[in-house]
Amino acid sequence: MKRTIQILPDAVANQIAAGEVVERPASVVKELVENALDAGAGRIEVRIEGGGKRRIRVSDDGHGMGREDALLSLDRHATSKIRLAEDLRGVLTFGFRGEALPSIASVSRLTLETSPRDGLPGTRIRVKGGRITGVEEMARQPGTTMTVEGLFFNAPARARFLRAPAAEARAVSEALSPLTLANPGVAFDLVSDERTLLELPAVSELRARIAQLWGDEVAAGMIAVEGEAGGIRLEGWLQRPDLTRPGFRRAALFVEGRPFREAALLKAADRGYRTTIPREHRPWLVLTLRVPKGVVDVNVHPTKAEVRFRDRGGIEQLIERAVRRSLEQEGSAATLDRPTLPASMERPSSERPPAERSPTSSPAVVREPEAQMALFLSGAPTEDSDSESTRPETPAAEEAPETPRLWQVHSAWIVAEVRDGLLLIDQHAAHERILFEQIMERFERGGAESQRLLFPLTIRLTRAEYEMVMDMRGLLQRTGFEVEGFGGDTIIVHAVPAPHPRFDAERCLREMIEELTHGSELMRAATSQHERVAMSFACKAAVKAGDPLDDREIQELFDQLFGTELPFHDVHGRPTTVRLSRTELERKFGR
Amino acid sequence: MRFTITRQNLNEGLTAVSASISTKTTLPILSNILFRAAEEGVLEMSGTDLDVSVRLRVPAQVDEPGTLTAPGKKLLEIAKELPDEPVQVQTRADQIELRCGRAHFKLNGLPAEDFPALPSVSFDGGWTASGKDLLSLIRHTSFAVSTEETRPVLNGVLWELRDGEMRMVATNGHRLARMRIPAGPSLETTAQLIVPPAALQQVQRLFNAEDELRVSRDGNHLGFRSERTEVYTRLIDGTYPNYEQVIPKDNDRFALVERKPLESAIRRVAAVASDQTHRIRLQFGNDRVELNVLTPDLGEAHDEIPVSWEGDGLEIGFNANYLLEVLRYVGTDEVKLGFKAPERAATVEPVHAEDAPGMDYLCLVMPLRLVD
Repeated sequence: MKRTIQILPDAVANQIAAGEVVERPASVVKELVENALDAGAGRIEVRIEGGGKRRIRVSDDGHGMGREDALLSLDRHATSKIRLAEDLRGVLTFGFRGEALPSIASVSRLTLETSPRDGLPGTRIRVKGGRITGVEEMARQPGTTMTVEGLFFNAPARARFLRAPAAEARAVSEALSPLTLANPGVAFDLVSDERTLLELPAVSELRARIAQLWGDEVAAGMIAVEGEAGGIRLEGWLQRPDLTRPGFRRAALFVEGRPFREAALLKAADRGYRTTIPREHRPWLVLTLRVPKGVVDVNVHPTKAEVRFRDRGGIEQLIERAVRRSLEQEGSAATLDRPTLPASMERPSSERPPAERSPTSSPAVVREPEAQMALFLSGAPTEDSDSESTRPETPAAEEAPETPRLWQVHSAWIVAEVRDGLLLIDQHAAHERILFEQIMERFERGGAESQRLLFPLTIRLTRAEYEMVMDMRGLLQRTGFEVEGFGGDTIIVHAVPAPHPRFDAERCLREMIEELTHGSELMRAATSQHERVAMSFACKAAVKAGDPLDDREIQELFDQLFGTELPFHDVHGRPTTVRLSRTELERKFGR
Repeated sequence: MRFTITRQNLNEGLTAVSASISTKTTLPILSNILFRAAEEGVLEMSGTDLDVSVRLRVPAQVDEPGTLTAPGKKLLEIAKELPDEPVQVQTRADQIELRCGRAHFKLNGLPAEDFPALPSVSFDGGWTASGKDLLSLIRHTSFAVSTEETRPVLNGVLWELRDGEMRMVATNGHRLARMRIPAGPSLETTAQLIVPPAALQQVQRLFNAEDELRVSRDGNHLGFRSERTEVYTRLIDGTYPNYEQVIPKDNDRFALVERKPLESAIRRVAAVASDQTHRIRLQFGNDRVELNVLTPDLGEAHDEIPVSWEGDGLEIGFNANYLLEVLRYVGTDEVKLGFKAPERAATVEPVHAEDAPGMDYLCLVMPLRLVD
């Protein structure tokens, strides 16, 4: 009987592997750029023609290869990055499977030009459809240039699936972006048919790269995030809540400089934003993780877009908490200032030595809760204020009172004079945040206070409302409403909360019942029944715009707001506070 | 219109009337005062904010009858600073001219026809009340009205006339104040009126204890009148809740306590109470009341003062502000507190010396409970 099972020739095996690794020009660029990064490149240039279908060239100034290595690199499973299976745990380089280059070579005409740093001669190897057609010596600067021409020339079925050159060029750019974010210290160029799509000089920090890639305004509107748990470090930048928008989102996740996709981790970041932004908003963010060996498995998928964490839950928690902590900071408040990047960062260039980095431009996440209040105490000793507040010629610093001066304006806002300028506080939004956190705490610890009524309220409801109230009686009681069914869809309220002197209990309860029964934008944003009740109560019970507050109430509101966990955001995802810095005021007045 | 008036009379009239006109109005005419010289020797000045209206009659030498409205606040500012000499006032078209000594003013006014008509209340069917009684009733009750918009009847003070008594009651549903005064045999009227506190404020301001007031209801309006002064107000529609029903009759634990020491003890411990609910706890026992406050994140307070207590021990929570308010109006050196249970209304009453019966005054305060 004739044997039907055969070992595939290498060329066929490579073509099959290519199906996994190489889908389109963008994936070729990604593989080649990753190789360049692994080779320690400081500068990577990508040129594509015809969207990369005609030609892709990736050049780097990395450590290059000698002749033997160069030839070996074209063999399947030839890799410089691991030697034994044990090495697989803890692989931190991009490529290591040794699949990429042979795969690409098997479906294109590939030219590899490389020269090692140790002064040995360079090598040029030509490959066509996986077969080496020529090897020669050449003179070259240290580094490697890969030229891929006629992608899928020998696989017309795949070639047909490629899209128009413009679409492929866009895909190349999209594939390159995360790599540029992951490596701000590396200069990148992307030129498509003589048009420069990206020109990114090396910069010393991630935020500067974000500015290059997404624009100064986006970068200036980002706040630093930092965290650590179980040896895993998280750093990155988040969009300030008031600047988030619904719809299109840019988000990049890296582990050890490797971009990856993981919806669950993005969701964790979104959870950290909860109640500070409207539900449909999609914050832009860049998060980088540094992990000890063995915590992450990158050997999941040939394109390495996915990684597997040993303890994903722990990392989700780390991200959620770190995001939340950054949003507790004053920097996350909305501002009237023109968004500006720290002066030290405005012209990032490859020439700037890292040593010149200004300390103020590094992520300055304040962790102590007291530090929040320190912002308001004029004389409070914080590192960057010391010099200024002790300067005798600054009269403001001398006369500034211990606690900020507060005014109510238009019976709706509170203006606070703080060390660094002004805070404008929306009294309703602020009170909402205060009440929300109070109620949530009461749900956990108990202890609602409830004012008994001389004349119990009788409220007629619809059937649906009545049933909702009966279902939620316990929670309503813990907000302070003591409710009893009276039959016939009527309820009797014996006791009510008393959050402030102008509180209108009946109206508040009616509005809450309406909202809890029929739903609302806010109710859809809540994640639990507790949160729903707390949000609804906070929103309906808070002082309203138009309520005149006396000095004591203003002071109380201010103190309580800055005693909350997220003082700068109300529960609808609107800001409670808008900042206007002294610098901006001075600029506006031409000082 | 032309008249001559003393500076004092002009000033007095303007002061009385201009306090009734609204400062924040979208209708310019409402910031004006209506002058009317119709009878010999009398000048009428009227002001209104559409809810409450005030009219004052002051002596003046009328040379030429007429009417005009003119800006109230401006006239008052001027009248305050005029020298003590007769003021000659004259109108030319819509302008009003004042001359006093060498001072001379011209102010633009508005025609009297544009001024809203004051409610016409006939005093034929009214009744008489002494200023002293009326002011005392108002003072002791009107502080307790509600400001919630959802129950408009509680935004007013209930004024009842029946069984030869005048009663006023006000409540916001958390505490209630009721005062009764015998009205004497002359009172035959029966009435139940819900009066806006703003009107009662004007009554307090414009009438004296010595005044004998004529009061009358006409449709939806109420009028107060003395010889020189009239106050009119819209009444609040609706049925006042049955307050008699909520006044506890079965309170069986009582405390007699010195008012001043109780007030200061409450004030002391309330400093540590929650700024929102002002909750304090009172624990009554044999011969003393303990006052306790425990506010998470802030701290705690304890104090005690002697009482003479009758009944089983009791622990009950209150909004300290409600207690303080009520104690302030009770007024006597000693007060009597009555209780039934920690979730039931407490009563606060003055304690009068046996030989000097005082006012019939009762306050209710509903407790503030901790829901666990």
